[in-house]
Amino acid sequence: MSATVATGPALETAAAGRVGIVRRLSRRPAAVVSAVTIAVLLLLSLLATPIAGSPTAIDTREILASPSGAHWLGTDDLGRDVLARTLAGGRLTLLVAFGAMAVSMAVGTLWGFVAAAAGRAVGEGLMRAADACLAIPPILLALILVAAFGASSWTLALISGLLLAPQTARIARSALLTELRSDYRLAARAVGVSPLRTVFGELLPNASPALIAQASLTVAWAIGIEASLSFLGLGVQPPEASWGTLLQEGYAGLYRSVWLTVVPGVAIFVAILAFNTFGSQLQQALDPRQEER
Amino acid sequence: MNGLRGYVLRRLGAGVLLLALASLLTFALLRVVPGDPTITKLGGARNIDPAALAELRHELGLDRSVVAQYLSWVGGLLQGDLGQSYFSQYAVTTLIGQRVVPTLELAGLAFVVGLVLAVPAALVSATRPRSIAARLVNAATAALMAAPPFLVGIAFVVVLSVQAGLLPARGYVPFVEDPLENLRLVAMPALTLGLAVAAPLVVLLRASLGETLRAPFIRTATGKGLQRRRVVLGHALPNALIPSLTYLGVTVGYLLGGVVVVEYVFGWPGLGSLVVDAVLKRDYAVLQSVVLLAVAIFVFVTFVTDLLYGVLDPRLRVGEGQP
Repeated sequence: MSATVATGPALETAAAGRVGIVRRLSRRPAAVVSAVTIAVLLLLSLLATPIAGSPTAIDTREILASPSGAHWLGTDDLGRDVLARTLAGGRLTLLVAFGAMAVSMAVGTLWGFVAAAAGRAVGEGLMRAADACLAIPPILLALILVAAFGASSWTLALISGLLLAPQTARIARSALLTELRSDYRLAARAVGVSPLRTVFGELLPNASPALIAQASLTVAWAIGIEASLSFLGLGVQPPEASWGTLLQEGYAGLYRSVWLTVVPGVAIFVAILAFNTFGSQLQQALDPRQEER
Repeated sequence: MNGLRGYVLRRLGAGVLLLALASLLTFALLRVVPGDPTITKLGGARNIDPAALAELRHELGLDRSVVAQYLSWVGGLLQGDLGQSYFSQYAVTTLIGQRVVPTLELAGLAFVVGLVLAVPAALVSATRPRSIAARLVNAATAALMAAPPFLVGIAFVVVLSVQAGLLPARGYVPFVEDPLENLRLVAMPALTLGLAVAAPLVVLLRASLGETLRAPFIRTATGKGLQRRRVVLGHALPNALIPSLTYLGVTVGYLLGGVVVVEYVFGWPGLGSLVVDAVLKRDYAVLQSVVLLAVAIFVFVTFVTDLLYGVLDPRLRVGEGQP
């Protein structure tokens, strides 16, 4: 085993680095499979109604029907099409999860960047605050936030986003610290580029693969939080349907039909697995030491 | 010795500070937001008798200033009095007392299950990475890392209760009343939570074992002719376990969080279902105390592991070489 000289992405030029990442990712089967799965999930939920019809249409002749040509995944206890309900539920779940991701990335990136750019004392204080937030089990913090702000899709996205922000802050800080130490940043400073332009023109784009990986992981976590809280009745509120509420309804009638529990359960699992895998594959591809194995 | 004492005091101070911050944060979040739990109690209707509302608020002490409420809560806490539940007639301590035994049983068993599963799994995965068993372990770990604990629980219920009819899906009997039925009922929730705890532990142990196995002292042990088995179990494993000790705090955090949803899935009458109930009813008196209790347990465990680590790794006491 030879010693590895750490040639970080920092040494490559920005554009070449990003092309390199895409090529390295495409050589990883798990990354490709998860990326395709994510694309399919997004497409399916965008085209939910054209594909499967209305999620609220009731077919009274078909109650708790098994999968058939007319209803690919059968129907629920009111005669609604399970596939249509699942796709529509996925749309809300993914919407909430992406909302949470946006909140988490905005708050967390700012948090981490300020911590990295500010002086020692402020940066240290900000990171200690992130540690303190991470110390409290997230579900408990989520319960307090739900009790305080009420339960709905909007608050759910906001709450999950805030919960996941400290983690993003850590990643953003370390990514930026790497970039701050790089030679091109010194060069930019020497030529007299304004700090703000360096941040948006150079530092942020260079740190972006690390942040995209984090965003993908954040979506996975947010889907888990949505499902957990909605399952407890503390998230999305009926009549709105998400994977979490579908699972809750299905689980309540488990002995009448296992199908209504299994479908949303599998959907949640596949979605989380896909976003999780993609995020960690990207992280590994970014780390030259891991790449070598 | 002085170094160790300073280290202990610093850690203790950090723990108390975190606890104080958590109590402030919990309390503030629950009070700052508009809305009032008493309205929910009186039925949430529009025509609430203002006199009845005022009386109820006075009874619960909600008409005092927020600062006064906080101080009286913390004052009571220090004397072991957590106040009255807003909705039932019981004191919060009574409610917690009723629920603490089932939760301790579930969490304790899950912890044991997690350890018993994780250590051999990590050993297989680290020592024979190309074997079929290792591949199975890795796939299962990845799946379990992705699935929220309650999904695993639901899968168990679907397969073992509904399809196979082997175990009851939900319920609770105290161990002292019917030990056998108690164990039958706790099996699935404990396994569910145990798997949730095991997965991150496998990831950590696998990495730590892999690193240890490449260390020079392992080559020495192999070089002097020790059996592979003794090298791994006697030399590598103990050393690999030390870093995962710091992870104990995180594991307890996982347990505390996981217990909430897993109890709900299996209808287990512990602190988790108490807290979910409290959120649904906006029973802040119960909610804030249970959450603080959880944070206190977490802080305590973190403190103890920090201490143990400080004893096992002298570098930390001196304050150098901290990772």
